[in-house]
Amino acid sequence: MRLGTRKLLDKAFSGLGLMAIALMAMALVLILTPIIWRGSKAYLFKGTIEHRRVMLEQFGRGDAKAFNRETRQAAEARAPVYRMLEEFEAEMKAMDRTVRRNYKDAYGEVEEALHVLLGPRPGKRTPVLLRQQYGQTRWDRTMVKLHEVLYATEWDYSTPGAMGVQIEKPRVDQFRGTRLEPLFDYLPAHIDEMMRPRTTFYWRFITDTSKDSHIFGGIWPEVLGTIYLTLGAMLFAVPMGVIAAVYLCEYAKEGRIISFLRICISTLAGVPSIVFGLFGLAFFLNTIHVSDSKSVLAGSLTLSLLVLPTIIRSSEEAILAVPRSYKEAAFGLGAGRWRTVLTVILPAALPGILTGIVISMGRAAGETAPIIFTAAVSVGMPLKLWETMNQPTPALPWNIYNLCTEHEAVDEIRHVQYGMVLTLVALVLLLNLAAITMRARIAKKLRG
Amino acid sequence: MAQSPSKSLVMSDAASLRLRLGGWLGQGLLFLVTSLSTFAVFFIFYFIFKDAVPFFKLEGTREFFTSTRWYPSGHPPEFGALPIMVGTGLVTLGAVVVAVPLGIAAAVCLSDLLPFRMRQVVKPVIEILAAIPSVAYGFFALVVFATVLQNHGGSVLSIGAWLVLGPVFFLLVMVAGDLLLDRLKHMLPKPRLAGAVIFPALGILAFLVLRQIAARLAGIEISSGTNALNVSIILGIMALPTVVSVSEDALQAAGRELREGSYALGATRAETLVKAVIPASISGILAAVILGVMRAIGETMVVWMASGNAARIPEPWYNVLQPVRTLTATIAGDMGEADHVTGSARFHVLFAMAACLLAFSFAMNLASELIVKRSRKKLGK
Amino acid sequence: MNDDITLRRFDQFAEHNDSAQEAETHIEAREFSLFYGNFEAVRKVSLQVPKRMVTAMIGPSGCGKSTLLRSINRMNDLIPSTHASGQMIFDGHNIYGRNIDVVTLRSRVGMVFQKPNVFPKSIFDNVAYGPRLQGVKNRQQLGEIVETSLRQAAIWDEVKDRLNTNALGMSGGQQQRLCIARALAIKPEILLMDEPTSALDPKATAKIEDLIGELREAYTIIIVTHNMQQAARVSDLTAFMYEGVLVEFGNTKQLFTNPDNPQTENYITGRFG
Ligand SMILES: Nc1ncnc2c1ncn2[C@@H]1O[C@H](COP(=O)(O)OP(=O)(O)OP(=O)(O)O)[C@@H](O)[C@H]1O
Ligand SMILES: [Mg+2]
Repeated sequence: MRLGTRKLLDKAFSGLGLMAIALMAMALVLILTPIIWRGSKAYLFKGTIEHRRVMLEQFGRGDAKAFNRETRQAAEARAPVYRMLEEFEAEMKAMDRTVRRNYKDAYGEVEEALHVLLGPRPGKRTPVLLRQQYGQTRWDRTMVKLHEVLYATEWDYSTPGAMGVQIEKPRVDQFRGTRLEPLFDYLPAHIDEMMRPRTTFYWRFITDTSKDSHIFGGIWPEVLGTIYLTLGAMLFAVPMGVIAAVYLCEYAKEGRIISFLRICISTLAGVPSIVFGLFGLAFFLNTIHVSDSKSVLAGSLTLSLLVLPTIIRSSEEAILAVPRSYKEAAFGLGAGRWRTVLTVILPAALPGILTGIVISMGRAAGETAPIIFTAAVSVGMPLKLWETMNQPTPALPWNIYNLCTEHEAVDEIRHVQYGMVLTLVALVLLLNLAAITMRARIAKKLRG
Repeated sequence: MAQSPSKSLVMSDAASLRLRLGGWLGQGLLFLVTSLSTFAVFFIFYFIFKDAVPFFKLEGTREFFTSTRWYPSGHPPEFGALPIMVGTGLVTLGAVVVAVPLGIAAAVCLSDLLPFRMRQVVKPVIEILAAIPSVAYGFFALVVFATVLQNHGGSVLSIGAWLVLGPVFFLLVMVAGDLLLDRLKHMLPKPRLAGAVIFPALGILAFLVLRQIAARLAGIEISSGTNALNVSIILGIMALPTVVSVSEDALQAAGRELREGSYALGATRAETLVKAVIPASISGILAAVILGVMRAIGETMVVWMASGNAARIPEPWYNVLQPVRTLTATIAGDMGEADHVTGSARFHVLFAMAACLLAFSFAMNLASELIVKRSRKKLGK
Repeated sequence: MNDDITLRRFDQFAEHNDSAQEAETHIEAREFSLFYGNFEAVRKVSLQVPKRMVTAMIGPSGCGKSTLLRSINRMNDLIPSTHASGQMIFDGHNIYGRNIDVVTLRSRVGMVFQKPNVFPKSIFDNVAYGPRLQGVKNRQQLGEIVETSLRQAAIWDEVKDRLNTNALGMSGGQQQRLCIARALAIKPEILLMDEPTSALDPKATAKIEDLIGELREAYTIIIVTHNMQQAARVSDLTAFMYEGVLVEFGNTKQLFTNPDNPQTENYITGRFG
């Protein structure tokens, strides 16, 4: 080849490598951006008066006096809407039966959409379901629901053979000439006064329980469940893992048995997480019956097996990094083996061991598959500590899955889903950040 | 400076015995704990296979491995897991296609091309990618990526083609042009002029081909965003950190002498890497690929959420735009219903699948251990 | 000719040099051998180390000095596949015999290593490590022990204001003296030193050598060194080893000026080693 080409190829090669890195970074940004951006909106959003109503009535939070004043103002703004409805209902009554039938269904839809938007009509009986007792709590959802009041969606099958196309028709066309017609101008013009949006920082999202399966409220049961599961897993995995690491590094003589143990550990590290879940079901629940049904305990045990290899390996690494001379010094001063391990080796290896533990905590907090069959339920209250022994719990990873695939109102609670994902990712990344800084500090210490 | 009356050096027989016994006991206890935590793996194998065997006893092995009909709740139930295995294979293959070239290129970049400072910036990116929980990836795949694919599938594909094929075509043009020049050198009177013609000509040709491909792709409509392509890309991204960090270690282990030797012979950096460093560390890179495959094959949440979960073999089998179903997702999805019928074939078939997964990952793990061990021996460490 | 050179090279000797023969024996090796697997690193060595004297061990690299030294407090137990034969008598007992309490042995025989190996703890905790092992819990008592040990090691004035700072922040020479203080804090009878100054600069070395001169009043010291001037400067007795065998052992002055064995002579005149 010619030298020029070789140089060019060299450059191109470097370019390829850089591009790979750039793609990787891009992937990270692309994934994290929507999670962070939309997830933050679970905490910081424009809340309507209905949000404040939920807070006051369901969580007993907020200034009742100010709220009442606000309600009065909102009611004033809403009054014309309900007057129009009444007038139109009277008008309908006076109508011919055949004419009335034309309007009845369309009007029913409007009434229902208005209910969803503003909450129950004053004077009517309070609905049973919590979600029907309130209007839209968030301004973004308000706009969506307003749109649904103003437009009816229909499917257009006019082109034969092709898929149906969704089209939107203004409802106002259905009510031309009636007393309801002005409603469709009034609503968009006065939605602000009716809903009174205000920027709301809802940090309690993380500490509030959920109401009516996540339609209102926060994610505390999930957060708490995740904390229980993670700490529980550590409770079992850390002592086992550290002891195993100490044994492997300090006591065991290299040989057949040890290399066999090592193979076992690396095999354990390679077991797919869903298999851990099945094992937890088959062993902890169906064989030794640690609890009657799914429980935090069973989930923690399963998770602890999952993180065990990580903890063993990182602890081993940390222990092997302790200079041999420390050990000699301790022995020379008359310390026994056990004393040496406890007073010199473990303290010196502690930062490294902690790093491994913190990373495994992140792993345990984020794992879903092992807890599906052993610990997780979709709906539940925050557990008391002793209840963890025999009760299942909601947990962030499982409920993220559950809310975005199995919930009956998937689209209505996107913000909750994003909020959960953000919370989980933030939790895990914070743990990792702690580990990274810890490691940097160790590296610095070792350097000088 | 007075020395206290010193303790006797000799212990009584009893004390000595106690000490020795204590030592043995302590060590035995440690060994017990250690082996308990390592023998967990045997427990796992035992309990999975124990519940898998009844399935094969009830239904035999033939249908499971060869039939394409998966109707576990039908009357009579049918347990053909072939489409599920094909689905698993397909998304794993897809993940490998995404993760391996990118991962190795990134590893090379990290170990040899980037200055130290930049490396400190890139390392956290990899660590974060590795740390993000799989359910978050799954959420992204289902809620964001699937929607984008479904609504703008064509443009996503063509942008992807430009991004990936562009640089590749560029390299191809350079190499092909150079080879052509070498061939024609003797026949042409003015080689320099020939170069000025050949390279642009090839370049334009490549550009046209690429544009054609991109246009083709842009015309594709994706009927469902939850499909094998979606999952493959996300799984690929998830497997990237493993591939990058393990192969970077392998590349580093090749050592400086090797590189210096190659440079001293007048090789460029790219030649040094491609002809000396990568061949020397090929076994480590292979191990990285295996670990990446294991990561992809064992992943549950992403495939469960975003693969579409259709238990049939795509038509044709490599059509990644169709929904598929994997072993892990089947276990996760069906156990909820099957759990009520403990003891039925429907329950045990899931364990049979887990057993397949377990056997496969065990074999992979052993293979990677062997490869690493052998390469270590070769390097004399 | 040789005599001239040796005399000129070794003109500084320790003062109490001549009383060596009269002192009582503190530790004695009888036909002592130590094996690493099959390799006999120390071969049938017999010697008597007198009490409250400084005994130096010299010899070419790999001749087994460290091995012999570490045999005295059984540090070699740490290395798998070592075993000993013969006897090492201390306090009337063979320390390789039955029912020997190794922990007590090591707390009566202190050791200082080639590289300073302070723990990553505070200065105070470093020195207090040994006493704490022996069950001293009282803070005041510990404080006293720490202070006397640090004074003995001639480092008290330098560190008394920062006893609670991490010991890793000290200079190499200070760390080594801290290691000596740490060894003294367990109130040993014998102090083993394996090339204690080889990692230090000349100034720090001089300080340690002065220190050894002071400590010999109270302790039996055995020091391994590669530096023959150092051996001559600090020791009363010198042992010369070669390939695991104790070639010559005797009064330092005599060994350096008028060695009996031609091998010794060759070594100290610099013909090999
Ligand atoms: N842990 C070990 N395993 C096997 N052989 C060893 C071990 N430690 C030392 N040896 C061998 O024993 C012999 C004596 O070693 P030793 O460390 O006692 O020598 P030394 O005189 O202290 O040398 P130096 O002056 O270099 O410190 C050497 O040949 C050495 O190779
Ligand atoms: Mg030595």
